[in-house]
Amino acid sequence: MPVVLIVEDEPDVAETYNLWLADEYEVRMAQSGDEGLAELDETVDVVLLDRMMPGLSGDEALERIRERGLDCRVAMVTAVEPDFDILEMGFDAYLCKPIRSEQLHETVENLLKRSQYDDLLQEYYSLVEKQATLEATKSTAELADNEAYVDLRDRVDNLETDLGDTLGGIDDDEDFIATLRGLSDVEE
Amino acid sequence: MSRSSDTEAVYDLTDVLEFDALESVRSGSNILVSGPAMSGKEDLALSLLADGASDGQGTLAVTTGDSAMNVIDDVLERAPDGGPSTVSAVDCRGDGSRRGEATESGSYVYHVSSPGDLTGIGIGITECLEYLHNNGADSGRFALTSLSTMLTYTDRKAVFKFCHVLSSRFDSAGYLGVFTIDSSAHDDQTLQVIKQAFDGMIEIRDNDSRREARVLGLAGQPSDWREF
Repeated sequence: MPVVLIVEDEPDVAETYNLWLADEYEVRMAQSGDEGLAELDETVDVVLLDRMMPGLSGDEALERIRERGLDCRVAMVTAVEPDFDILEMGFDAYLCKPIRSEQLHETVENLLKRSQYDDLLQEYYSLVEKQATLEATKSTAELADNEAYVDLRDRVDNLETDLGDTLGGIDDDEDFIATLRGLSDVEE
Repeated sequence: MSRSSDTEAVYDLTDVLEFDALESVRSGSNILVSGPAMSGKEDLALSLLADGASDGQGTLAVTTGDSAMNVIDDVLERAPDGGPSTVSAVDCRGDGSRRGEATESGSYVYHVSSPGDLTGIGIGITECLEYLHNNGADSGRFALTSLSTMLTYTDRKAVFKFCHVLSSRFDSAGYLGVFTIDSSAHDDQTLQVIKQAFDGMIEIRDNDSRREARVLGLAGQPSDWREF
């Protein structure tokens, strides 16, 4: 079961999200940014991060999460429509309060699909690299008879199809930027 | 934005390079232009952009070497019928932080801090596509010069994935993508891996000071070398 961490200082609100999500996800809850960071480990898939909290703010918490290099997806939960470019800030998605159950489910599902896309893309890359190694060391005739190579080509083709089917390829700006953000470790 | 399966635009590149395989290139195709240093890759990429610009198609250039303004001026010079408002560029030479602005003549330029800032380049591409769309260009051509520079800033895994993700993005935006790489600057395996992220390739070479090209992977068998 995918793990969702809810970081929200209002207990009633957090409990509502929990009730909505608990059937499909393992839900963890934290009441502040600091507590959220303590709860966070590599098993967490999606973080719902309230922007306005006493103590560590949502923005600061996000920064710490990125610093730790965890590949979880972070959705910001905010009371006001953000007047800044959400993509520039490093969030993967945002939700405006009050949130409806359906919206919350959609957002979490989309973020999980992005992680799935990243995993597929990583697998695709490693197979392409193996294929290139074989191609560099063997002749075309040798390759045609090489079962491992033929099998590899099939898997590369299948993965291409899977990638095209996940997120509908990448036809959304937020999906596009969020995917690129995961690609390199260059300081921004 | 609608997916390409709904629109299915095709691009005719034969005014620039006369090959059968380039007569109707499916929108969303990504083409690698590969050749040694000084063989005219950038020049070819700009010609392909200008060819589209003169037809009123959107133009988006990502540059790691030349300034965005030079590239925009160059495209508009080659395409006198093209309008500045559907020409845009992402400048990755690293002159300051990320920012986008319309130029005086009405083109759009986005600045990125380094050729390794893949997220910044992505934001720039998104903003440029939006600008072009708002000015009436719903399809168009994209060129990135060059992947070789990007490969000096980030590893081939990131560059490969970047090309793949961009290809998906252009597939849904209905664009045609052209990316240049200096074949003399990388080992065979790197070229082999990067190639795999593309639908087809135009190879160029210098043969006794004649420029020759051939097309691979787009339609039918690899073409023969031909002067251009």
